[in-house]
Amino acid sequence: MRKLVWLAAVAFAVLGIAAAQAQDTPRRGGTIRMTAPYAASFGSLDPHATPRAQDDIVGKALQRSLYNWDTANNKPVLELAKSVSVSEDGLTYTYKLRDDAYFHNGRKMTADDIIWSYTRIMDGTKGFPGARYVRIIKGAVDVEKGQAKEISGLKKIDDFTLQMTLTERVEPGYYFFAGTTAILPKEEVEKGNYAANPVGLGPFKFKEHIPGSRVVAERWDKFYKPGMPYADKLEVLIMAEAAARDVAFRNKEIDTSILGPAQYVAYRADPQLSKGILEVAEMFTRAMQFNPTYKPFADKRVRQAINYAIDTDLIIKRLVKDKAYRAVSWLPPSSAAFDKTMKPYPFDPAKAKKLLADAGYPNGFEFELSTSQNESWGLPIVEAIIPYLDKVGIKLKPKLVEVTVLTEIAMKGEHQAFIGSNLTGPDSLATLRCYYSKTPRTACNYTSFNNPEFDKLLDAAGEEADMAKRNDLLRQANNLLYEEAPVWFFNYNKAVLAYQPWIHGLQANPTEITHQYPENIWVDATSPAK
Amino acid sequence: MSQSTPASATADIAVKRRFRLKGGLSLWIGGALVGLALVVAIAAPLIALTDPVMSANLMNAELPPSLEFPFGTDAQGRDIYSRIVYGSRISLTVGVVSQIVNSLIGVSLGLSAGYWGGLWDDLVSGLTNLMLAIPSLIFALAIMAILGPGLVSLVIALGLTNWSYSCRLARAQVLSLKSQGYVQAARILGYGDLRIMFTQLLPNMLGPLIVIATLGMGSAILAEAALSFLGLGIRPPFPSWGSMLSEARDQITTVPWLSVFPGLAIFFTVLGLNLLGDGLRDIFDPQATTRRT
Amino acid sequence: MLPVLARRVANIIPTLAAVVALVFLLFSVLPGSFVSAMNEDGRSNIDPAVMERMRKEMGLDDPVTTRFAKYVTRIAVGDLGTSFRTREPVTKLIAARIWPSLKLVFAAMCFAIIVGVPLGFLAALRPGSTIDTAAMVGAISGLSLSQFWLGLMLMYLFALQLKWLPSFGYGDGGLRHLILPAVALGVGPMALLARTTRAAVLDVLNADFVRTARSKGMTETRVVEWHVLRNALVLVITTIGLQFGSLMGAAVVVEKLFAWPGVGSLLVDSVFQRDIPTVQGCILLIVTFFLVINTLIDLAYVSIDPRIRYG
Repeated sequence: MRKLVWLAAVAFAVLGIAAAQAQDTPRRGGTIRMTAPYAASFGSLDPHATPRAQDDIVGKALQRSLYNWDTANNKPVLELAKSVSVSEDGLTYTYKLRDDAYFHNGRKMTADDIIWSYTRIMDGTKGFPGARYVRIIKGAVDVEKGQAKEISGLKKIDDFTLQMTLTERVEPGYYFFAGTTAILPKEEVEKGNYAANPVGLGPFKFKEHIPGSRVVAERWDKFYKPGMPYADKLEVLIMAEAAARDVAFRNKEIDTSILGPAQYVAYRADPQLSKGILEVAEMFTRAMQFNPTYKPFADKRVRQAINYAIDTDLIIKRLVKDKAYRAVSWLPPSSAAFDKTMKPYPFDPAKAKKLLADAGYPNGFEFELSTSQNESWGLPIVEAIIPYLDKVGIKLKPKLVEVTVLTEIAMKGEHQAFIGSNLTGPDSLATLRCYYSKTPRTACNYTSFNNPEFDKLLDAAGEEADMAKRNDLLRQANNLLYEEAPVWFFNYNKAVLAYQPWIHGLQANPTEITHQYPENIWVDATSPAK
Repeated sequence: MSQSTPASATADIAVKRRFRLKGGLSLWIGGALVGLALVVAIAAPLIALTDPVMSANLMNAELPPSLEFPFGTDAQGRDIYSRIVYGSRISLTVGVVSQIVNSLIGVSLGLSAGYWGGLWDDLVSGLTNLMLAIPSLIFALAIMAILGPGLVSLVIALGLTNWSYSCRLARAQVLSLKSQGYVQAARILGYGDLRIMFTQLLPNMLGPLIVIATLGMGSAILAEAALSFLGLGIRPPFPSWGSMLSEARDQITTVPWLSVFPGLAIFFTVLGLNLLGDGLRDIFDPQATTRRT
Repeated sequence: MLPVLARRVANIIPTLAAVVALVFLLFSVLPGSFVSAMNEDGRSNIDPAVMERMRKEMGLDDPVTTRFAKYVTRIAVGDLGTSFRTREPVTKLIAARIWPSLKLVFAAMCFAIIVGVPLGFLAALRPGSTIDTAAMVGAISGLSLSQFWLGLMLMYLFALQLKWLPSFGYGDGGLRHLILPAVALGVGPMALLARTTRAAVLDVLNADFVRTARSKGMTETRVVEWHVLRNALVLVITTIGLQFGSLMGAAVVVEKLFAWPGVGSLLVDSVFQRDIPTVQGCILLIVTFFLVINTLIDLAYVSIDPRIRYG
């Protein structure tokens, strides 16, 4: 009897493993149908020419950069190199490159391609967006200014060994995982029609682009990761209209769809749809930024009072429908310098009133807030704030503008306050530099923040080679920022991607959830797509 | 380009003259619908249950219709019924003011062009053709982008882009009336040009102009909704039907009352305006009455 | 016929020139610029130093007069400029959108004509009947609907509920993907056409020469067939022309909703991203389309009704 039970147990275990394997073994073939939700068209398929998040959705399939973002470990990892060694001073990196990476035209990638690509990005006459990253390499700025032909900090040792010297002690992975620093084949770019026929190193090979509708790509058989990509075909369908995307997703015409707050609620409530929801805390911090040249906002107590006066948690719960995490500082939770013990400003109108009175505004004051129409960090939020501030005597007048204009307003500094979303990662040091006193308003110090103590912490962090110690300094700086309240800290975005049950291998990428490395994605046989 | 082409001249008549639905009935139904909207707009503070903006209370967000909230509440927890009631003021303002602007521009250009003729007429005709050729929605979109979203911008945008119909009508009417006896008589009596235009010519074309304006109001209300959809509408928190409908489009199936009520308000108001315009046409166009079988 | 054509074409040119000037003027005072719009989605990331350089490179800081002079000289040789966004010639961008746009506009117009004209005709033959009332109530309702709402309803009904048609996109460019956006776009013109047709037919039926024809003993059918048809046609074709011509511009909402890759969606996208050369190119194309269609209609007009002469 005992033996029988034992046998049965083994049998069940074996069956169980087999079943699990059937579930977990990626199936080869099929079509992935992703959506590009941020605009009604792609800007350019030349990855160097466009900084847009929308375009990089396709870029992740067709192109490769020196590093990838590793979602599992939340940091950049080597992609086009097998190993790297760092010099004593932390400035010189020697990369052992892959010798099995082929461009879609069949040519093998070498160190020359990386050097050529980075040099192209630094072409000062083109103003390529990736220049901001490549500038970290020694001598890159000289190329940009036209004073040199070659980047002196890039040296080819042999075909598959590259030496890179940096100007500062930073982690180059944060710089060279960006889609705008992809490695392109010189001969294809020089043909002159690259954006119409992009040739890259990515897992999928370009097939077709119908402007305003979609990009189609096919499996690249010589991709360097064994067995990958799994799918035969990848379609990126442009769908900027959320209401239409909802219909298409429910109608099983697309495999992934990014969700706004209203749809997030509906999908979570649906027994079927709720099974396919991927969530991640993205590196975007939403905040109302005060301009200290408007007198009341020069006083820290006024800024704190606003943080006390608004029931931020309720707004996130009810209006943003929990599609966000309460902000407890500037850096997002995915940052290594994030302080998990931080407590948010409690909702305390009485305290807000007292702070306002102490600051000399017992009867409040009036200010104009520039805002966009965005549902998560625009007008609906402002509408909800109005009554809260009204209760402590502050009259808020919303001024609705397009996002385009919002950026310009923030840079010119003619506003009293504006509310927006800010990229706050992945490099925490670079992110906090937005509050460094020497950073100009046009370069993201929108609150003209000037705090000697904060500057000191940031300087020390920049000098520090030890990552743990550096993060500790950054954490202090970040917490100081929360206390100083140059902004109303609202939330960190929770990005939500709905996916169909037949899609597997999606990555919860905190730098941008729509940026999927598609070689990891596979489609099981239940997909209706051919 | 000195003469209006046969196609466009007939178009005025074809498109704007002969719609009718059993004459009187459409006038009454249309009048009743528009009258209701007007009454609601005027009496808004009396019949609204709460303030449309400051009543926000997140604890009440997205409640279905009930006795307390007859049309339910929106994402901010505001009473949709009250917002629709106040929204009638905004939608009707958009319709009426933009049509007044249209008529003023169209009539003054059309009257003067038809009366004086010559180079001025050529210029106005050219401008009218230009306005007809540029799609008004795109023109309005550009103006909204320049002025920034808001009620005033919207009225300006819609007021500047749709005057070509009234302009053509005024011009055509002047051309046909100019030679008639009473105008000639006024001229012999020594009346000034402006006096003739405004006392002799204008009253004779008021009827058709009102018809155009009535139909135009409906289009303006729909245009407001379209601009909201494209992201350049009226500035909330003030409730406009178009922006309410546009904001609710993500939740048409999940939270239907957000879109149903503003949608119905737009539909019935525009329907009313269209019916009223048809009915008025039958009254003001004597030919249509005699010819009716 | 030929001199008429020449006259009409000559008439197009000053209008187009005025459009060029007007559009340039409008968009030169637009707040925000392409450079600041790069951050428009709140997710993209762009360096201020690069922004500064791009402003210079694109001539955004030049005085308006300089930019206008440059623009006009380029347009004169058929060069619409380079798109800020894609760094490609605007002509190339627009060329890719013309075919889908034309398809949508033609399909919508076909729908409007096939449904609208017979409906109006039937209604006019039996004025006051149930058919008449139903047709006209339908037509006025069609004119009173918000286009994006109608489009969404079509999607829900025919894609999600009935599963007959795909809900969005261009697909392989075939009919299945075309139907829903074409109907959403065609309902307005359809309603207008039904009403115009009805009015035109009624007018003609009661005109003196039809009565004369009847009194001459022509059968009712012959009367309807010949005189009525030809005379009503003039009015109907005029309406078709005006509707047809403005449809490409009116398609922006439908194209955005259905993710249809036409000129309208390119235009709206470019307005929001402040890609001004593309915006100007799109508007020029839309206006040209309107003028060409109306010229053709005028010509058709002359050939249908020989009584019309150009002065």
